[in-house]
Amino acid sequence: MAGGSVDQFRSGFQEEARELLADLESCLLELNENREDGALVGRVFRALHTIKGSGAMFGFDRLAAFTHNLENAFDEVRKDRLTVTGDLVDLTLSALDQIRAMVEEREGEAAPDPAACAEIVARLSALTGCAGSASPGAGSGGKAAAPRAPDAGSPALRTARSEGGTTESHWRIHFAPGPDMVRSGSDPLLLLRELGQMGPMAAEASMAAVPPLAELDCERCYVNWEIRLATGAGENAIRDVFIFVEDLCELAVEADGAAPDAEPPKAPNAGQAKSAEALCAADRTARALEEKRTSPGRRASDKPDTAASLRVPAARLDQLVDLVGEMVTVQARLSEVAARSEDGEVLAIAEEIERLTSSLRENSMTLRMLPIRATFERFRRLIHDLARDLGKNVELTIEGADTELDKTVIDQLGDPLMHLIRNSMDHGIEAPEARMAQAKKPMARIHLSAQHSGASVLIAVSDDGAGIDAEAVRSRAVERGLTTADAQLTDAEIFSFIFEPGFSTAKQVTDLSGRGVGMDVVRQRVESLRGSIEVTSRRGQGTTVTLRLPLTLAIIDGLLVTVGDAFFVLPLASTLECIELTREDVERANGKHVAYVRGEVVPYIRLRQYFAVRTPAPEREQIMIVESEEGRCGLVVDQVLGDCQTVIRNLGRLYRHVQVVSGATILGNGAVALILDPQRLVQEAVRARMQRERGRMRDPARETEKGGRPRETAPPVNRNSMSAGTITGVSL
Amino acid sequence: MPVRFDRSATPGVIRLEGEIDIASARELKDALLEALGAKGEARISLGMATGMDVTAVQLLWAAEREAQASGMVLALDGPVPEAVGATLRQAGFARFPLAADTERDGEPDPGAKPEPKSEPEVR
Repeated sequence: MAGGSVDQFRSGFQEEARELLADLESCLLELNENREDGALVGRVFRALHTIKGSGAMFGFDRLAAFTHNLENAFDEVRKDRLTVTGDLVDLTLSALDQIRAMVEEREGEAAPDPAACAEIVARLSALTGCAGSASPGAGSGGKAAAPRAPDAGSPALRTARSEGGTTESHWRIHFAPGPDMVRSGSDPLLLLRELGQMGPMAAEASMAAVPPLAELDCERCYVNWEIRLATGAGENAIRDVFIFVEDLCELAVEADGAAPDAEPPKAPNAGQAKSAEALCAADRTARALEEKRTSPGRRASDKPDTAASLRVPAARLDQLVDLVGEMVTVQARLSEVAARSEDGEVLAIAEEIERLTSSLRENSMTLRMLPIRATFERFRRLIHDLARDLGKNVELTIEGADTELDKTVIDQLGDPLMHLIRNSMDHGIEAPEARMAQAKKPMARIHLSAQHSGASVLIAVSDDGAGIDAEAVRSRAVERGLTTADAQLTDAEIFSFIFEPGFSTAKQVTDLSGRGVGMDVVRQRVESLRGSIEVTSRRGQGTTVTLRLPLTLAIIDGLLVTVGDAFFVLPLASTLECIELTREDVERANGKHVAYVRGEVVPYIRLRQYFAVRTPAPEREQIMIVESEEGRCGLVVDQVLGDCQTVIRNLGRLYRHVQVVSGATILGNGAVALILDPQRLVQEAVRARMQRERGRMRDPARETEKGGRPRETAPPVNRNSMSAGTITGVSL
Repeated sequence: MPVRFDRSATPGVIRLEGEIDIASARELKDALLEALGAKGEARISLGMATGMDVTAVQLLWAAEREAQASGMVLALDGPVPEAVGATLRQAGFARFPLAADTERDGEPDPGAKPEPKSEPEVR
């Protein structure tokens, strides 16, 4: 085999191992909560078994040998000779870290710690070694895991004990190979032979699904089996026969209460076959129904058909999205040229291409959308470890894990979420005694949630801890000169200080937090994603930090508008409607920036003023009504040119503080248009107005002097704004 | 070559040798289609076969079903090697496909039984 393809297989294994390790981690944490769950133990065992087997196959010998120890331990658990304890879970979790390091070792990203590995192996063998012995505390693991006392009342048909060996149970097995099983190199007949070695077996093959010869796919198995098996081995041993095809077939194993009619058929005997078959056929429907209701652990049928999905490197997808972005830009030019040429045929083609590009864009964007589940689940481990280190009881609840987000956004989310969670764990959640004293449940809760809201996704981290002490934050902010002692601030404004660099109210710096770095990172990262942060907190009841993030960072649908000779794009998703604003309307409002929309008063922001566009306003202007968190608001523009697909380009680091512009795009005619963030525009305007009003109340004279003219008439320009000319003059 | 179609024999014989598995499934399918296309009679010899996987079994089974439907004769030439027969018996195939000696009198094929209505041509 060529070196290249070996490497390819290795990286395939690494990828698989990463997934398995992530799955294992959440299984273990779940197991920690439900220690008697046999299905979970089975899952852990099988995942370890697969990692070991595949690792050995691809030359990860050390990994295979190390994982073998873990597999042994969980085999003992499966056989009811070892109980699951918190220490076993912790030990296994730290072993997973080492396995992960072994997987990544070749990449030079991590290296396993030999001393830690040796210690884990020693503790594991102490556990497994003392299993079955009379003195549980014999090993160095001490309290780690207690050998389970043999209990006769063990549930269900888990009567199999390899030492005892005489009790036989009867099992019914439904086995339906999936379309890819044979192709992957597994012959069902060999599996059946292996199964037959476990005890007397009566199998019945159903050929009903075999298509006509001409249509038959030679590499696919169409046969299904109903099997009855009498064996001394347990369910896990039966499932182990199918362990390598678990994902490629449908498998149901259940205890069969009925007496066995299961003698191996000696010769082809029509009568016998018929009775076995009648039995199986009658059972089939009932079983199928039952199978739908009960789900013993993970079943292949629960998972999406593996044949229907492909593994594609993320870089290739990014490349595709980039290309589509270029295509969108070129298509805009084509449409522009076609419109000018007035050639009907060219126009028709341009329209067709516009339509195709639009669906191409939508399709390619969905390719990069991923559910946020994996990101959320990753924090189970963090919370488990932190709770243990801090001596707090914390459970994690997750909501909206299927919410989809662009992969590029998801990739950037890990760090901010981690800092928020660490902060909650350290500062938010109280020690169990303190919680008891406040009549709170000793088990604290951290809740992660995700939901769509227009073109954004809201991701919230809430805890039911102590809440933020607004006064402490305020006095610290005054100490640091971020605000004045007499400033009238809303809670939201006070809480926003916690995101200032180096800001901390912590009296002592701990391992976890208190240096005032984490939250600063959160804000920077969220802002670089063009998102925003909102904090709500109630003393004694908890804190919720909500991150509002754009669904995608690449291409959006927008409305192209002009103000003077500058072009702007408003995201279509946040635009509600467009109404006209005439001079009379302006005069009627007595100089106030409000319009009447079907009887409702809607405030507006003049973009001409905001961006200091010097050309005179036309007779009739347009108000684009946008939806924002502050309610409906209008943005006044000269003209609405129409909708456009917009490839978002970054403005570069120089303009990273400019919040109201989320990027720029190149139009069909080569001009640059700024993409506005209406949400931010409105927020800035509201904030600027409140500051003005407060300033006026405090010191009207100073305010007027500072602005050089009364601020009421000045455009609400602040440090985050700039003139349209400043940006459009810069080459992108 | 595990699958050989001996067209010189009368009737034609598809000779299967060694392990008849997924690797030779395509050849077996082509040979069976050719035999079925020729109408009349064809035979399948398993004398030299040492093993058979599920892909081969279902091909033979589908071929038998179609031969019966079109009224042609497609039968085994000689006995089934014990190793092959045992594997199939254990895997719950009530009889060997094409094994004319256990042909039932007008009974539908056991495999088709759970949904006899969907396979009317078998009758």
